[in-house]
Amino acid sequence: MQAETSMAHQNGATRNLRAMGRSFLTAAWLGWQIESNWTDPFLFAIYSVVKPVSGAAILVVMYGIISGGDFDSPLFAYIFLGNAFYIYVGSVMTGVSWAVLDDREHYKTLKYIFIAPIHAPSYLMGRGVARFLTGTISVIVTIAAGMLFLNLQLDLRAVDWPLFFAALGMGVIMLANLGLLLAGVTLTIANHVWFVGDTVAGALYLFSGAIFPLDVLPVWLRPLGFAMPLTYWLELLRRSLVGDVAQAFPTLAGLSNAQLFAILIGLSLLFGILAFAIYRWCEHAARERGLIDMVTNY
Amino acid sequence: MSDVAAIRTEELTRIYKIRGGKKSDPKELVALKDVDIQVERGELFGLLGPNGAGKTTLIKVLTTLLAPTKGRAYVAGYDVIKDPHEIRSRINMVSGGEASGYGLLTVRENLWMFSQFYGIPSKAANQRIKELLEIVGLGDRLNTKSSDLSSGMRQKMNIVRGFMTDPEILFLDEPTLGLDVGAARDVRNFIRDWMRQEDERTILLTTHYMVEADELCDRVAIINQGKVLACDTPKALKRQLQQVVIFQLQVSPCTVTPGMFDGIQGVRNFNHAHEDGYTTMEFTLEEDDILPAVIHQLAERDIHLLNLDKRQPSLEDVFVHLVGMRMEEVERGETG
Amino acid sequence: MERPADFARPYSPRLFFQTVIARAYPRIIGTQREKSWLFFDVFLPMLAVSAYVFVYRAIGAPETYIGFVVMGGAMTAFWMNILWSMSSQLYWEKEQGNLALYIIAPNSLMAILLGMAFGGLVATTLRAFAIVLFGSLLFKVQFAVTSFLALFGTFTLTMVALYGMGMMFSSLFLLLNREAWHLANLAQEPIYLLSGFYFPLRSLGFWVAASSSLIPLALGMDAMRQLVFLEGPSFGFLNVGIELAILGALSVIFLIGARYLLAYMERLAIREGRLTDSRR
Repeated sequence: MQAETSMAHQNGATRNLRAMGRSFLTAAWLGWQIESNWTDPFLFAIYSVVKPVSGAAILVVMYGIISGGDFDSPLFAYIFLGNAFYIYVGSVMTGVSWAVLDDREHYKTLKYIFIAPIHAPSYLMGRGVARFLTGTISVIVTIAAGMLFLNLQLDLRAVDWPLFFAALGMGVIMLANLGLLLAGVTLTIANHVWFVGDTVAGALYLFSGAIFPLDVLPVWLRPLGFAMPLTYWLELLRRSLVGDVAQAFPTLAGLSNAQLFAILIGLSLLFGILAFAIYRWCEHAARERGLIDMVTNY
Repeated sequence: MSDVAAIRTEELTRIYKIRGGKKSDPKELVALKDVDIQVERGELFGLLGPNGAGKTTLIKVLTTLLAPTKGRAYVAGYDVIKDPHEIRSRINMVSGGEASGYGLLTVRENLWMFSQFYGIPSKAANQRIKELLEIVGLGDRLNTKSSDLSSGMRQKMNIVRGFMTDPEILFLDEPTLGLDVGAARDVRNFIRDWMRQEDERTILLTTHYMVEADELCDRVAIINQGKVLACDTPKALKRQLQQVVIFQLQVSPCTVTPGMFDGIQGVRNFNHAHEDGYTTMEFTLEEDDILPAVIHQLAERDIHLLNLDKRQPSLEDVFVHLVGMRMEEVERGETG
Repeated sequence: MERPADFARPYSPRLFFQTVIARAYPRIIGTQREKSWLFFDVFLPMLAVSAYVFVYRAIGAPETYIGFVVMGGAMTAFWMNILWSMSSQLYWEKEQGNLALYIIAPNSLMAILLGMAFGGLVATTLRAFAIVLFGSLLFKVQFAVTSFLALFGTFTLTMVALYGMGMMFSSLFLLLNREAWHLANLAQEPIYLLSGFYFPLRSLGFWVAASSSLIPLALGMDAMRQLVFLEGPSFGFLNVGIELAILGALSVIFLIGARYLLAYMERLAIREGRLTDSRR
């Protein structure tokens, strides 16, 4: 009897895993079909070159007019790299949460997806894959532009690649979880901002030490920055790429790479659990309030 | 009463160009072909045809939303291309299955907004909205957000939007699409009452429900593949079939083979459907005397007769007579 | 079927006005109904503004720049409104089935567009004002307004030009169908950069700044910065009077362009049958 129960459990677990895998892969394929028009040279130029480079250029101009064009300063490398990798925050979070709005209000398929025997969080994360890939191109283009035109101090031979890829991988998982949290919230709200992921990413810019050291924030705001996994993720990326520059700022200098990584894993886990819980709660609330097939328009 | 017909079309043709891939040449889809119809003032005129027959395209042309490729169309005496402004101040339109309006506004606010586009003063508009909503049974939903309405209620709101401006000519494109039986009946009653109130009111209604056309319309045009096949009162259309007789037979479950009754002279048309425990066969015969031959044929194949009905022709029969198959068969894309 | 005397006549100025108000209504009233706008349209942009403020603080910029950022942050609300609620709106109306109803109404489509613009302007002004208010309090921005009348006039003229541009884009975007999405996306960061949302316009150099002047927000913001900040005039690109004259010319061009493009869009769409087909 016990053996039968455990077998049933095992079967159930396998079924769940299969549903998750199927949901993720199908959604990744669908997302790619929707996003793949970036292979059009015009659209590639918009999303992977013009938008990210313009975003970086705003900061470059701001920095340039105040510093009198001192692009060799470590502060510039700090700002530029933080901003470049921050592109992932917007693209992955948008990729995951945008699927809710796009499927609900544009394709009007969200209701069919929710009644299908799929694993909804895996589906939504799958939809984010395409944006992650296009985001990667943007990051590379932005950094290349910095190196070519702005004397960004980045020596590819001196990069700590294992640390870089480990931090990047961990960060993407963490961002996908944050995207899921946002997708949950999106399920319960009207469509005010089309790119809710980008808007939230823009707001979190403030607390993540992406473009200025956390010391610049008022004392009462700093704890928020220290509580965000993004802060440690960006610091690890900077250290792996340009170790000296990152250490020029004292905020996190007291922590070793291993310590930073441990904090990143711990916080990612915590936010992951929180994200799933909030997503589940929001999904329940959306079903209860009949919002799964809402169309906003005003 | 004005002498000018409410609607008139002359050889009206509309061809859509459908683009294929980047390299392939655009294909042409003939949505309307040489359509000639005339709708008099005060008429409730029906366009009956399967999905894709060209009904909505005709409404789009008449409501000035789409230009004809060839031919002419006049509404209230005005040319749809030359005088769209004259036409627009005299018409309104309701399309079934559409969620027009803004979800964040209440039913009253949505309707009030549309009333303003027609120049109705707010006080008069609110009064009309209240009255019409009462009539369609939405009186208690005046202040409900339209996103909170069921699809049937939203459709009723949409219907009120069309009638609220009291147009001279109203275009109803499948107004009962997606409504349950009760709601569809309410809508039909509402349309009938509205027509009764004033002699000059004109409605052009498209539908693919035979009963709706039969029950509501003064005259009906049967349309298929962009062509008008017949146009007359429902009674006259059905009368065309009075030289034939229609028998409906319930027989023991059997396999029907193509050409099974081809040997019997005088069988104009034959349809069948397999039901739970029996098969229904419908025969259109040139005269009553052919029935024994049919029954004999059945007996030879060991098919037992369970029930027999002789019935009056319906518009469905008229359609079958004209097109050679049922409307559902046309919609499924079966060849005649 | 006589039309009651108190009804506005088809295509009359009175009906035009009535339509503008009616179409503005959902934007002014409807948008306030979902309270989440306070969070998404005020709180989150406020945080983004703060990030730019702290960048300036990190690199030791003078305090005048903080005021520039707060004002720029507030003005982004208008640009977002132009992109996502004006330019893309006719496309959305088509998808919802409303566009056909607007066209068959005995009315100028310009009235519908103006209504959308007016409604969007009022709703967005509320959001922008909230951002300026909170931003100023939070970062202790010092204002030195010399003439409220001049400021109000400049703001109004900027908005007329800006929303005129939005009205023109709405027809253009409808013609481009879903490609419009990409154009709206393209017009975010590059416009933030070229309009000088976060720094004085003249930092871009004369020729770039002069080209950016086609975007009404660039000159409008430059003029307003000169009018509200003590050191504003020393950061100005052109003299306020010249900037206002250019904005006036842009207003006329954009409004005429909007009218022409709208008529062109309607003609083309009626000919090709694109007005009522939803293309997902």
